[in-house]
Amino acid sequence: MGVFENKFQDNVVVASLDKLLGWARSTSPWFFQFGLACCAIEMMATAASRHDLMRIGMLPRSSPRQADVMIVAGTVTLKMALRVKKLYEQMANPKYVISMGSCATSGGPYWQHGYHVLKGVDLVVPVDVYVPGCPPRPEALIEGLLKLQEKIQSDRPLTRKIA
Amino acid sequence: MTDNLEQLIKEAVEKALEGDMDAINNIEDRVTRSKAKAALVKAKREAAKEKPEVSSDESDSNQDSAKIKTSNENIAELIIQQFPEDINKDLCSEGHIQIHPKNWMAIAKYLRDDPACLFDSLQCITGVDLGEESDLEVRYNLHSMTHLHAIEVRITCSRNNAKVPSVESIWRIGDWFERETYDMYGIEFDGHRDLSRILLPEDWEGWPLRKDYDVQETYHGIVVPKVKEGWE
Ligand code: SF4
Repeated sequence: MGVFENKFQDNVVVASLDKLLGWARSTSPWFFQFGLACCAIEMMATAASRHDLMRIGMLPRSSPRQADVMIVAGTVTLKMALRVKKLYEQMANPKYVISMGSCATSGGPYWQHGYHVLKGVDLVVPVDVYVPGCPPRPEALIEGLLKLQEKIQSDRPLTRKIA
Repeated sequence: MTDNLEQLIKEAVEKALEGDMDAINNIEDRVTRSKAKAALVKAKREAAKEKPEVSSDESDSNQDSAKIKTSNENIAELIIQQFPEDINKDLCSEGHIQIHPKNWMAIAKYLRDDPACLFDSLQCITGVDLGEESDLEVRYNLHSMTHLHAIEVRITCSRNNAKVPSVESIWRIGDWFERETYDMYGIEFDGHRDLSRILLPEDWEGWPLRKDYDVQETYHGIVVPKVKEGWE
């Protein structure tokens, strides 16, 4: 920023638009509020007052249209898998997915004998962060969310990606 | 002094056993009172051990089960008298009756409406797979709010042509129970107003709780593998 140094008043911050956008996006990723099984209880605990997700800028939205992040919290049955996919498609870009718990990641306790369970939500939607555990503690989910924030921050939405 | 106390405790316990708890509660000394209570518990336990049939000391639950036992025998007998051809006497035992599916509707109506039975509540319907080579079975748990007795009705049907008359019009709750049994075992309930899958998606293949069930390979293009390739 050498060129701009001391050219402006004190309360003006100079940054590249790309980085600024990444920063702005990463600090308020609203998540889509839906729980599928026991992991949902931990997700609720994370969002409630003790762990308070709001302090890292996350709040639950009840509509996929208003959400940036989908937290797949719980067992995804095959019947639900089609719905999860549809909901993901309804979210506006940019969108991110967190797979919470071993069920969403791999089928969890149902991985061998659960005839009705999807063996990992990554079979239907792309996943950005996996949070292991059965169920993961709220701290683990928060760490996953912070990792996701890092990832969003490193996105450069204006830079053309060269394939 | 001690003799006196023991005498006092003994008398109080005897009175309490006859149903007069005040005799113990009125003892003023705290230590003596608790001793008397302990003695009472002991006396009760011994009485129960000596003659378990005597009902006065027995708890309510014991009385209930005793009632259920006698009622069940009576009900089985009643049904045998009423429908001698439809009941498989060899397979009946205490607590359940085994019937042929043919006349099930009439028997169900009888069980619900007869003043001696009055089974107004159908608590559960479930299926049982008796083995790959063998038959399927439907079990109905009935309970009467009036008489507080219960009975289990079992109906066997063949694996390849699993059909049982629906009792959904008799006990309305049977609607979803039968749909669930159909969903899991593929047992068809004749006369049900909307026999469709209730838990699994409608285009699911197979009956998951049957012992010869094979998991389908794909569902709407999603693989349903038992083991994912390259995992282990
Ligand atoms: S991972 Fe464990 S806690 Fe989470 S939904 Fe599955 S079984 Fe429940």
